[in-house]
Amino acid sequence: MKLSLDWIKDYVQLPDDMDLKRLSYDLTMSTVEVEDAEDLGASFDKIIVGEIKEVLPHPNADKLRICRTDIGGEIKDIVCGGTNVAAGMKVVVACPGAMVRWHGEGEPVEIKNAKLRGVESFGMICASSEIGLADLFPAGEAEIMDVSAFDAPAGTPVADALDLNDIILEIDNKSMTNRPDLWGHYGIARELAALYDLPLKEITPFDPAGLPELTVAVEDKERCPRYIGAEITGLSVKPAPYKMQNRIWKVGMRPINALVDITNYVMLATGQPTHAFDADNISEHITVRRANDGEKLLLLNDKDLALTPDDLVIADSESAVGLAGVMGGSKDSVLPKTNRVILEVANFQAAGIRRTALRYENRTEAAARYEKAVDPERCDQAVSMAMELFAELYPEMKVVAYSDTYPEKLKKAEIDVPMDWLKRRLGQEISNETILNKLGRLGFEVSFTEGNMHITAPTWRSTGDISIKDDIMEEVARMYGYDNFEPTLITTSFSGAINQLDIDLERKIREYLAFRCGMQEIFTYPWMSDEYVNAILQSTEGMFELSAPPSPTEKYVRTSLLPNLVKAVAENLRYFNEFSVFEATKVCFDRNYTTPYDVREKLPEMRRNVAGAMVGDYKNVETLFRQMKGILEPMARYTHMEELTFEKVEKPVWADDVVWLNILLNGKIVGNFALLAKKISMDCGIKNSAVMLFELDIDSLVPYKSRTNKFEHMPEYPMNDYDVSVLFDTSVKWKDIHDVIMSKSGPDSLLRSASFVEEYKGKQVPDGKKSVTIRLVIGSLTKTLTSDEIESCANAVTKRLVKQLGAELRFK
Amino acid sequence: MKEKLEALLNEGVAKITGAKSESELQEVKASLLGKQGSLTGILKEMPKLDASLRPEIGRMVNQLKERFTTLIDTQRETISLNASKISDDFDCTVPGIKPFKGGLHPITQMCYDLNDAFRSMGFEIFDEADITSELYGFDNLNFPPNHPARESMDTYWLKGHDTGKAEDKLCLRPHLTGASVRYMQTHKPPYRFVYPGRVYRNETTDARHERAFFQYEALIVDKDFTFTAGKVMIKSILSKVFGKDVPVRMRAGFFPFVEPGFEIDMGCLVCGGKGCSVCKQVGWIEIMPGGTPHPNVLRAAGLDPDEYTGFYVNIGLDRLVMMRYGVDDVRLFHSADLRFLSQFC
Repeated sequence: MKLSLDWIKDYVQLPDDMDLKRLSYDLTMSTVEVEDAEDLGASFDKIIVGEIKEVLPHPNADKLRICRTDIGGEIKDIVCGGTNVAAGMKVVVACPGAMVRWHGEGEPVEIKNAKLRGVESFGMICASSEIGLADLFPAGEAEIMDVSAFDAPAGTPVADALDLNDIILEIDNKSMTNRPDLWGHYGIARELAALYDLPLKEITPFDPAGLPELTVAVEDKERCPRYIGAEITGLSVKPAPYKMQNRIWKVGMRPINALVDITNYVMLATGQPTHAFDADNISEHITVRRANDGEKLLLLNDKDLALTPDDLVIADSESAVGLAGVMGGSKDSVLPKTNRVILEVANFQAAGIRRTALRYENRTEAAARYEKAVDPERCDQAVSMAMELFAELYPEMKVVAYSDTYPEKLKKAEIDVPMDWLKRRLGQEISNETILNKLGRLGFEVSFTEGNMHITAPTWRSTGDISIKDDIMEEVARMYGYDNFEPTLITTSFSGAINQLDIDLERKIREYLAFRCGMQEIFTYPWMSDEYVNAILQSTEGMFELSAPPSPTEKYVRTSLLPNLVKAVAENLRYFNEFSVFEATKVCFDRNYTTPYDVREKLPEMRRNVAGAMVGDYKNVETLFRQMKGILEPMARYTHMEELTFEKVEKPVWADDVVWLNILLNGKIVGNFALLAKKISMDCGIKNSAVMLFELDIDSLVPYKSRTNKFEHMPEYPMNDYDVSVLFDTSVKWKDIHDVIMSKSGPDSLLRSASFVEEYKGKQVPDGKKSVTIRLVIGSLTKTLTSDEIESCANAVTKRLVKQLGAELRFK
Repeated sequence: MKEKLEALLNEGVAKITGAKSESELQEVKASLLGKQGSLTGILKEMPKLDASLRPEIGRMVNQLKERFTTLIDTQRETISLNASKISDDFDCTVPGIKPFKGGLHPITQMCYDLNDAFRSMGFEIFDEADITSELYGFDNLNFPPNHPARESMDTYWLKGHDTGKAEDKLCLRPHLTGASVRYMQTHKPPYRFVYPGRVYRNETTDARHERAFFQYEALIVDKDFTFTAGKVMIKSILSKVFGKDVPVRMRAGFFPFVEPGFEIDMGCLVCGGKGCSVCKQVGWIEIMPGGTPHPNVLRAAGLDPDEYTGFYVNIGLDRLVMMRYGVDDVRLFHSADLRFLSQFC
């Protein structure tokens, strides 16, 4: 919302030397956010009134003329293409250095002395659009702005001549959604009066005594708590005085004609919307009622509506004439021939107006105010101000009928505030005098009794804004100034060290994957693309669907992190060939509902998952597999949780037929680890790369309460590495080999461990065979072994392999 | 002559043991034993000597020569032992081999920084799931029944769970604040906890607006906690996260679940408060709403609002991270683009 400081000063006399920065700051700190304070006059720098003395033809151009123009004691030649230039006309001259918008478009550019078609021109004679005044001075095409009507000699700065020296405050609307009283100049003036302890101008109520009753039928009193109608004669459609147009324009609306401008002016001043109907077009009388289903109404902005019974309309005996609180109808509002009106100053229920405005996407200035819950008593202010303006603009006007339908007066909020409570919550005592002064200026009635403060809120704060003692505390604190409170130290009583194993485990896993394993963490959305769901999960069972999804093909909420992970892989493959990524976040299932909090609330199954992808060339699948396994196997050790094991139990649907393993904890599957099947890769747009994936359910993992590593003494006698290479059938698995090797090794055996070194298939081994190099560690805890002892231990191992797995010794 | 020889001995030993390279040693050798060397010079003076002295001097010269030769050999060995075995052409300017790439998402980093800061002040971390009911998303938080945020143009409701009573309606959580009531219902006061997480709003995205973004809320509930202590808390946290003193101001703001409510601004770190394009010339940047939990929220958590009060803040993590690194498009955070993410490891 835009506010004119000049206008505000009608209601509160701010000091002339008021520091504008201070004012913006104070309003921002205590009331509403001032986003900008624009010095309007400054944008008209070096733009002055000129008087054309003589118009000469341009020697080289038919459409241009040379205007000999008085710019205040000096005559300058200005080349101008305006169709309406004439000697004796007062015009607006942009002198060199002024900023104007060329033909009213684009960014402002600086005016310089220039030759136009060979003739030297001093600055430029402006059209209204070129200095941003098109709405205030509408003009035909190629017409320059005529300011002859203004009493300002040549040379006067245009900002002075046209009354443009003002500060325009831009208020963030979001910062006052809860304050319907602030949606006009008077409301902000009241805040400033309270902030600076200044008097606020009172508005004398209009006295309708003795006026004949205007017939108005309010059928829906809940949706229309108050309706004031006044029939006024002796009017005509004419332009409003410049001052009124100027103010309406400065705060962002367009002047139309005096009758419409009065209604807008009143709204901008008080925050109370008003409307004028052409009284000649109202058949019988005004009725406020619900619309009939499908009832037609053509609005002022030419929108043709088919209404619903939830809409409130203003109607005459024939049809709806206006959409209550939103916009008038085009047929019966102010027309060119209008000479008597029915002025409507009414109060409508906020929620209904909001629904209607949204339904027809017609969020007008009036609707924006009504939906904040304007108080019904503001109608009095608005009527009073409107009547004054009508009388001023139309001295012969008469109010011929009047009615005020206000069956149930708004109850003012009454609140008791215990003073010791206030002191405790504020952290310091604020004197009764200060409270009385500040709250009084805001319109609150305050009375003190023993240890208690009784507050009666004004009507304009009683529509929901102020209802409990905490609201009063806020009023006191913001008026005292949040910056003026002394900082208080935070006191703590520690009841013990924080120990949140569950929370810490997730962090350990993320840090392990990122810092130790070199994977990059990514974030993706909780909804998945159908394409990836179909390819990877192949079922939508147990998935939630969004009622209004971001796009029709992104409606499912994830039950697995894999679809989005694979999508991220596919997208990154445009830039990288080899990389690894992971994500740790929530998944949810439309099943297994529980009530962990409020017994009324049933929550679905939600779990924390972590999933990772490792991408590389398809030729290197084996390496890729071992790299990812190398991340998963020691994960439990490094993140301090119960050991995980890897087995083939149940193949995930998305996995390659051969390269897959389930991840188990105590015999239960808690995750999967596999190569994404080639066909599915292709379906996901991944052509040549192998994608190794894992997904793990964090909520199933069991963190250790503390580190469980155990110290072992370093061996006193040498441990000997002994490598053997053995030929096996390619079908023999390492796990079987290892089991056989270790099957005879008790604690006192000389064989301490055996590990996989490498596997070879190729020219040097026969078809159907593979050579596996195994590193045996052989040693004794009690003595140094001789080479014979080492050898015979190794031979025993290879013999077992030959006997049990059909191995052939290759070389050692 | 004897003195000359003794002086030469001292000089020679010092020169030889001082030689640091083979070439230096060669030079020293030449200067002592070469044709133009000092010892050769002395030998040339022999004929001028008294004959009776010649044998002794001759012996001394020979001893000296021998001494020097041995010393030079020893020094040569020492030099060769200490010398680099690497060719002189070795290029020390080639770049290093980097360890693993990989890292945490920049928002996770900020979240963990805040977790560490808050934990050091005795806060627990609470994690709530992404789906909530309207009861916890709105009703418990004092949102009026017809509040615009409840409508589907703002909140992602779940199909088949989008009508009926508040406790039956489910949505992707529109904010974290509902989690505060969950924590309070399942723990005993006083409370001191943070609850970070992702929230979802159905809106059109652009460089400053996202459908999914991160919030970080902190709540203290205790007897007689004042908002002025809240300001001290925020200031300490921000100063820790940004590594320098950060000015903080609290101004009037309205949110249904707090009373009084604040908009909390931090001094712009880019210009130091003088005004720049980042802070739109104001010198302050709006980073979080906050305030005292509304009595209805405390009641929903089963507390007596006359006894308990507190302080709440909601930090927009995305905005804080954007500030930290100068990121100008919030949508990058969910892009999963490694060209972006790898900048923050």
